[in-house]
Amino acid sequence: MILLDGLRVRVGRFDLVDITFEVATGGYALIIGPTGSGKTTLLDAIAGHTSLLAGRVWTHGEDVTGLPPEKRRLGIVYQQYHLFPHLSVGENIAYGLRGQPIAGEAADARVQALAALLGITSLLGRGVHGLSGGEQQRVAIARALAPRPSVLLLDEPFAAVDPATRTALRRELRALHEAEGITTLQVTHDFDDALRLGDMVAVMADGRIVQQGRPEEVFRFPNSAFVARFVGTGNVIAGQVERTGPLEADGRFAARFVSGALELHVIAEREGAAHAVIRPEDLLLSAAPLPASIRNRIEAVVERVEHLGPVVQVQLAAGRDLVAAVTVATATELGLRAGVRVWLGLKATAVHLV
Amino acid sequence: MPAGTGAPACPNIGSPHAGRLATGPLELPEPPLTHTRFSAPRLALALLGSILILFIVGPLVRLLFMASPAGLGRALADPELQASIVLTVLCASAATAIAALLGVPLAYLLARARFPGRRLLQGIVDLPVVVPHPVAGIALLLFLGRHSLVGGALASAGLEFVSHVPGIVAGMLFVSAPLLVSGAREAFATVDPKLERVARSLGDTAWASFRRVTLPLAGRGILAGSILAWARSVSEFGSIVILTYNPKVASILIFDRFTAYGLSAAVPAAVLLLMVALAVFALVRLVEPKEQR
Repeated sequence: MILLDGLRVRVGRFDLVDITFEVATGGYALIIGPTGSGKTTLLDAIAGHTSLLAGRVWTHGEDVTGLPPEKRRLGIVYQQYHLFPHLSVGENIAYGLRGQPIAGEAADARVQALAALLGITSLLGRGVHGLSGGEQQRVAIARALAPRPSVLLLDEPFAAVDPATRTALRRELRALHEAEGITTLQVTHDFDDALRLGDMVAVMADGRIVQQGRPEEVFRFPNSAFVARFVGTGNVIAGQVERTGPLEADGRFAARFVSGALELHVIAEREGAAHAVIRPEDLLLSAAPLPASIRNRIEAVVERVEHLGPVVQVQLAAGRDLVAAVTVATATELGLRAGVRVWLGLKATAVHLV
Repeated sequence: MPAGTGAPACPNIGSPHAGRLATGPLELPEPPLTHTRFSAPRLALALLGSILILFIVGPLVRLLFMASPAGLGRALADPELQASIVLTVLCASAATAIAALLGVPLAYLLARARFPGRRLLQGIVDLPVVVPHPVAGIALLLFLGRHSLVGGALASAGLEFVSHVPGIVAGMLFVSAPLLVSGAREAFATVDPKLERVARSLGDTAWASFRRVTLPLAGRGILAGSILAWARSVSEFGSIVILTYNPKVASILIFDRFTAYGLSAAVPAAVLLLMVALAVFALVRLVEPKEQR
């Protein structure tokens, strides 16, 4: 378990404030923030390399706030890996095993086991110069894990590798996390990492955590327009909520969301200014007018069609610009291309108001 | 590490280059390969450059050929010259050891710590470079002489500088310390602080991470700086001639023979000292990180 309790950290000229976050034992959590939001400094502070202005850090029930870095048993992997250039791959991995109760053969076995787990056994005797980004990454992770730290801290581990390697590394990291059962905290600017790896996520903005929860939850129900845009939920539209129906027992009511020429039937909790968050895959596309059972039926014109592998992203003009995602089959069937007129269907419950 | 790919010529601390090792020795970009075609401007550059090269090589070669093998043999057998070279080497070594002992920690501070007055401190360390050496000698004489506060106190403790061997070491230390400190500071600056952080998180104390990571990575640079400081000490004349004329270090002995007996008496000693200097120079080239050559 790692518990950050009200951390305050100076990052250049601004502060990260009130960082409170808990990662369960064996969990994988991510802190997400835009580039330059002080995520590396936060990790440095947790690891004891930068002092805290306020707050406490707990790992597995122990308050480590006053301990020097070497006493905290936190493994850290920086974005640029920072392998020791004067040591071989094997020596890098074994670095933290010196002075441990295990030594000699046991240490060697640990290095071999980790290298096997990460598929870098053939590199052990080599120097670290000339390793690819992905290889350096694996060595850095093995080095951090070797002394069996209680917590693993990862700083943007996939930022410096190509997309193919990123996918492979994510999968390996997930497998490794399951094999070693180590509590992991990663900082990233990429919400994809959270969706694929994490069981907890915290989104940072302006030096604070603005939302935390399970990744799917945050993705599905962002609590602000910022989070919605940042995690890439899809369409985020500013407008006004006007009540049209009676207040239900759960505190919600039927309402109209108006944004320029776009009007939507929605279920709301409060009136006034709001943002409507609509996932691209929740927008139904049809060549003919849709049945009345679908609350929102909107006429739209296709502006652009982008093929993104198995998914086709369609940009539409419907009073406001909207983005929809359909399968390749649907796109072909509807003959989607710029200028084509289509009908959009959207359930009232698929509009998330923040 | 790929060389000559247009990497910036700055120490790559916190380098943003993706996938690169974030540390390593200072990388100087190789000049782009250009065709060596005849062109008037380039010929002019080459001409100007060769004049300077000849001006450096010419006198030294001339000197080396001046001394006959028999003359060199006699010089080697000359007890006064032998004693003088031994004295020079020992004093230079002592000055370098003191400079390293006091200067390496200072260099680490200058490279790592951010504190008010750091630039001022850096300036002070470099100051001896701009002080003419006889001026340094006079300043040291006033500071370390028997009648000064510091010199008097040291003299009563049995450490006399003026006209004694410690005076030679003091002069050498004053003029050579900046070379060692800047060499070590630059070497430390090329070691990414994040490497030390990684080492700390892997269980090293601050001292252990310095010993296991920083020192090995900066070691060659520090050694190169030390050898330069040592060579500077061996060649020192201006301040020593004022502080301690006797016993004579090699440079003073050469000057003394030249003024007392003329050129032919000074040449064999000069050639010997030149050979010592060239040997050190070759050593520096061997030790220096490849990328800095």
